[in-house]
Amino acid sequence: MNTMTMNNKLINTRGDMIWALMAGALCLVGLAGLGNYLLQGHDAYNVYRQVPWGILISTYVFFAVCCTGLCLVSSLGHVFGFKNFEGIGKRAIAMAIIALVSGFVVIGLELGRPLALIYNLLSPNPSAPIWWMGTLYSIYLGVLLVEFTLMVRGMHKYVGYASLAGFIGGVAANSNLGSVFGLLDARPFWQGPFLPISIIVTAAISGCAIVILLMAHRYAREKMPEDIQRAVTATSKIFALLLGVLMFFEFWKVMSAIYGTVPGQYDAMMILLKGPLAFNYWGLEILLGMVVPFVLLMSSGGRSLGTAVVAAISTLIGLFFMRYNMVVAGQLVPLRAEVDAVGPSGLLSYTPSLTEIAITLGGFGLCLALYMAADRYFNLDEQGH
Amino acid sequence: MSQERKKRWVMVVDPDKCIDCKACDVACKRENGMDAGTDQQVYRNWITSKGVEGTYPYLKERFEPSQCQHCQNPPCVKVCPTSASYQTEDGLVAIDYKRCIVCASCILACPYDARYKSPQTKVIDKCTFCAHRIAEGKLPACVDTCPTKVRVFGDLNDPNSEVARLLATRHYRVLKPEQGTKPSLFYLS
Ligand code: SF4
Ligand code: SF4
Ligand code: SF4
Repeated sequence: MNTMTMNNKLINTRGDMIWALMAGALCLVGLAGLGNYLLQGHDAYNVYRQVPWGILISTYVFFAVCCTGLCLVSSLGHVFGFKNFEGIGKRAIAMAIIALVSGFVVIGLELGRPLALIYNLLSPNPSAPIWWMGTLYSIYLGVLLVEFTLMVRGMHKYVGYASLAGFIGGVAANSNLGSVFGLLDARPFWQGPFLPISIIVTAAISGCAIVILLMAHRYAREKMPEDIQRAVTATSKIFALLLGVLMFFEFWKVMSAIYGTVPGQYDAMMILLKGPLAFNYWGLEILLGMVVPFVLLMSSGGRSLGTAVVAAISTLIGLFFMRYNMVVAGQLVPLRAEVDAVGPSGLLSYTPSLTEIAITLGGFGLCLALYMAADRYFNLDEQGH
Repeated sequence: MSQERKKRWVMVVDPDKCIDCKACDVACKRENGMDAGTDQQVYRNWITSKGVEGTYPYLKERFEPSQCQHCQNPPCVKVCPTSASYQTEDGLVAIDYKRCIVCASCILACPYDARYKSPQTKVIDKCTFCAHRIAEGKLPACVDTCPTKVRVFGDLNDPNSEVARLLATRHYRVLKPEQGTKPSLFYLS
């Protein structure tokens, strides 16, 4: 296989070099953040009593959602029998594992005492959505590793079953992720049916976007095989369709929050619409995340790979901020107006600290580095049956 | 049958008596070894101003002291993955500190802003109703110290207790009843 020669060395071309440098730089930044965290503990973060969840939680959610999304797209081949998609399955699953591991690392650094996680097993509390989150995503990681191993060993007979398990696990873990927020009754912004639905739709969107990027990178210097090309075109079309669905949801989410009567929901929505998070919301989440990629994909009909790549990058940036906005906006309406941290606007505020930003960037660096390593050590192209 | 009747610790608060002297805050911090330093976020109890009432010159500012409500239906316990937050037999909501992973779910689940991260132990903490003092037959520090006796503490399951008598004879309310938390702090009105 021609890919064999390509995979022998980690760095073959200038392109690889740039990626490696980028991953290395991000990892270094992350290590600096880690160092500061080890020195100062949670004090190095800007989360506090009134806003205890910050960018590390939202970054974890982003990674976890991407993981599910990749699994959904890859299952199109092995579970739902769309032959063209079989060629992208292995690479997508590898990336799903890597994204989830990166997410675990980031959330591990958010937890004040990750070692006490042993009590997740010793004294489990199944009524806690966070308990389910930890448990389901851990099992899910196991399922993905099995699936990947079967793929690498070429045991195609069993890959279908493993993919099905992965698909079910992914959807279960993902809808539970919504409940981690949705069941916090004290925070009305996260309640309601929109969150789980929007999380699963955005999962599929991020899966499409990442698959497009992976394939564009893989075949940057050689001709894309026809089946892959067809799969990528189909992915771009699904991507555009889902963006349309997401915009529809977003519209009704906003409407129901501003016309609804749930106290706390209106105020939190206003933080996004015209408050401190307005730029993040309109500029990044809506424009970059939905409108720009939708217009790009529609205008190219999903046929131009270059356009799809730009759309994918744009969407992923938007989705990252969508998570951030969701996590932060849900906490900025104070439970007691007289606490010291409330500003003149009557709202709390949160800006990530340099350490939190560094760890976030490190998470992306780790993700990139692990992918480059996986690409080198495994043949991520699907072999024939 | 059972000789030992189960206790139900509650606190009855008469907010009209509160003069915002913050003695309870100081007493609580000393009793529980809390060193807040300059950190404004470290407190187990707090006084809320409910604004000025009446017409000049008969003005009165009203205060409302509060703390963990030791809810009978506590959302903080429900969301705790490791069962670090739990309910005791006698109606207290307690934390087993060694189990806490500091995920902060409980802080977000509590509708009263009762929880914080301790700068000393680095885990989540809150008002314990001074369980260590109750065990010795003493009153919680904030109850003991209050110059105007705003808080009355006792066992609601004992019909002769002062809390039981107050709740039987006076009008009272709880905070945020719509949250369905069933607080153990009752405010006389
Ligand atoms: S007041 Fe808050 S911390 Fe206390 S028991 Fe109720 S929910 Fe839990
Ligand atoms: S922060 Fe600690 S006490 Fe609170 S929910 Fe998490 S593990 Fe439980
Ligand atoms: S009961 Fe004890 S721990 Fe709770 S507020 Fe009073 S003094 Fe503090």
